[in-house]
Amino acid sequence: MFGETAIQLTGVIQKRPNFRLGPLDLMVPKGYITAIVGPNGSGKSSTFRLMLDLNKAGEGTIEVLGAPVGRGDETELKKRIGYLADEPFPHEDGMKGTEKADFHRFWYESWDVNRYRELLQILGVDDHQALGKMSKGMRRKFEFALALAHGPELLLLDEPSSGLDPLAWKTMIDILHRYMEPGDRTILMSSHIIEEVKRLADFIVFMAQGRVLGMYEKDELFGSWFTFFVSGEQLTAKLAAAAPGQCGVEHAGGSTYRITTSKAAETEAWCLREGLQLIGRQALELDEIMSALMLQDRLSNRS
Amino acid sequence: MRLPIQINEQSAEPLYHQIEVQLRALIVSGQLEEGTLLPSIRELAQTVKCSVITVKRVYNDLEQEGLLRTRQGTGTYVAKVEEQERDKHRLAAVIEALEQAIAAAKRVQCPEEELRSLFDDTISKHYE
Repeated sequence: MFGETAIQLTGVIQKRPNFRLGPLDLMVPKGYITAIVGPNGSGKSSTFRLMLDLNKAGEGTIEVLGAPVGRGDETELKKRIGYLADEPFPHEDGMKGTEKADFHRFWYESWDVNRYRELLQILGVDDHQALGKMSKGMRRKFEFALALAHGPELLLLDEPSSGLDPLAWKTMIDILHRYMEPGDRTILMSSHIIEEVKRLADFIVFMAQGRVLGMYEKDELFGSWFTFFVSGEQLTAKLAAAAPGQCGVEHAGGSTYRITTSKAAETEAWCLREGLQLIGRQALELDEIMSALMLQDRLSNRS
Repeated sequence: MRLPIQINEQSAEPLYHQIEVQLRALIVSGQLEEGTLLPSIRELAQTVKCSVITVKRVYNDLEQEGLLRTRQGTGTYVAKVEEQERDKHRLAAVIEALEQAIAAAKRVQCPEEELRSLFDDTISKHYE
């Protein structure tokens, strides 16, 4: 689709006692920001862990930056990746920030102490405290700086902004945009925050119940999901239901119907053809698109 | 540099088209002079909150039209726009705006005569 691939999952399945993840097929393009969105428990964090071989997949293949994952020694590969986990590790509570930074400096040859200091300064973090003594947001900012300080080719960010105040959030967004500036770096992130996805993502992946529902280019996605108010004497619920990409019809008084569509341009052309009047339009928000996709998914699984 | 480009998420017009029309207008009107370095693709994507794919498309299109040129490694610059070319583009933007006004009128079933008189009124309000 778009040049090189940073991450490729093929037929990946992980079975756990209460949850089955997959089969996952996913291609993350190099040079772009891809955001995974989905409800709690849809398997986003598990997917990150599989990519880093922190958990093992039962079936399928995973390739990250051209190297296979899950076959033993990934040390060299991991040096090229920056990872921000969804939760801090409790066993590090007693460790000072400086101590954890020393550990990173030891493992990553490309560790850039100036970059690390600069990030701490921009984010307003003091690394002399014990990690367990830092506030949630402070610890998050510290971990974020750490994930970036060795200049990785690939960033895996699991809900990077959780716990950040609005100012720190904005700083983080700026840092990530600047990180992407060279053009050959890749970010895969998960997020619950609509505005964050809108500001950062080039591609959006929807996940639910351990499966990938679809991957879309952001502007194409937002440009195709609309709610139209359509009016016409001959318009009935049955006719409205025939609109291309229709995912919901509601009577809106008189001869007006509210039609939600995933194919805005086609629905518009359809209105013209049918001699119907388009009297209003409203772009759908990310959460609304997600609910519609999940509903479609449930319906198609039932049939 | 921050380009004065504003997008309307509610519009039927695709995002890349909205950005392209406005950037073209900035160039042919001379507001962006020859040789101006444009923001990087990621930077412009950040300010208008669109994907880099959209900005790449806009820069490519305008490069094809000869309004921009890209120097490997240094960035995208405003190219020299000939007088004749400038006129053509200048009016193209106006024609497009008029088309949109007429589409809006048709949406509310405004008859031709009424539209004409509205147009005349608007002109006399702004010219004189």
